Amino acid sequence: MRSRNGNFSFLFTSLTLITTLCIGADNYYIGYRVTAKNTQAINETLWVSKAMQPCMSHQNGPLIVFKRTLNETLDSVLKREQTPFLEFASTGEFRVKSNDTFGSSHIQTLNSLTLPSRCYAVEFNDESVTITATK
Amino acid sequence: MRISALLALLLAVPALHAGFFNSDDSSETKVKCVYSGTDGHCVEPILKSQNELIITVIGQGVAPSVTASPAQAYALAKRAAMVDGYRLIAERVKGVQVEGQDTIKNMMMQQSTTRTSVEALVRGANVMNTTFKEGLCEVEMEISLSYSRVLR
Repeated sequence: MRSRNGNFSFLFTSLTLITTLCIGADNYYIGYRVTAKNTQAINETLWVSKAMQPCMSHQNGPLIVFKRTLNETLDSVLKREQTPFLEFASTGEFRVKSNDTFGSSHIQTLNSLTLPSRCYAVEFNDESVTITATK
Repeated sequence: MRISALLALLLAVPALHAGFFNSDDSSETKVKCVYSGTDGHCVEPILKSQNELIITVIGQGVAPSVTASPAQAYALAKRAAMVDGYRLIAERVKGVQVEGQDTIKNMMMQQSTTRTSVEALVRGANVMNTTFKEGLCEVEMEISLSYSRVLR
């Protein structure tokens, strides 16, 4: 059973974390697209852009934490940790577009997968960066 | 002679009976299992309010022939496999638009082209398993459809 002092520190830490995530974090728009031609990935683009205005969202979704060196930007962190970030982002929604052509002489498949640009709350710490999906 | 004729008559009567009177049985509609559920039982591919429909697909992707490292080859093959998996999910759930074009000249087929396309927004698909062997990456993906998720 937790003491009163323990309860206070737990409550203080929780409130600080929630306040930091809601107020202190920067907002970024992140989008992604990969195009595959004949089952080979031919183009992959990740867009990261800082929001000019704070996102009007009051609810926070799932979050992910990445390691970060000092003064490392979000772009370089995401390029390094692209696969885990995509697995994290895939809990949201992906737009898929496919065009296949079957002819007598050639067969071509062209598929593209797009993660629509979405606002994320990003909090930079000394050795880590926390990315929270906003709703 | 009479005995053989009697035997032929005895054999012919059941055969005729089977042919004429059992013809109604063959007209019974047979339900074909279009989609097999994960538990092995035949499941109708119809989303009902009380049931959950689980769709499993296997997307395939090939690593490019020229890559900087085996890790890059794996990453690119997995990306392509995921794209293929999402496409398969979209095809299963939403359907495929098929467009065919034939060109005939002087009563002879000159060119035949078939185009298929699908466009959809997929939410909540999960990667269940990934295998990479000899440059081919296979990603097993699963999506669970239910009224609560569709209407969310």
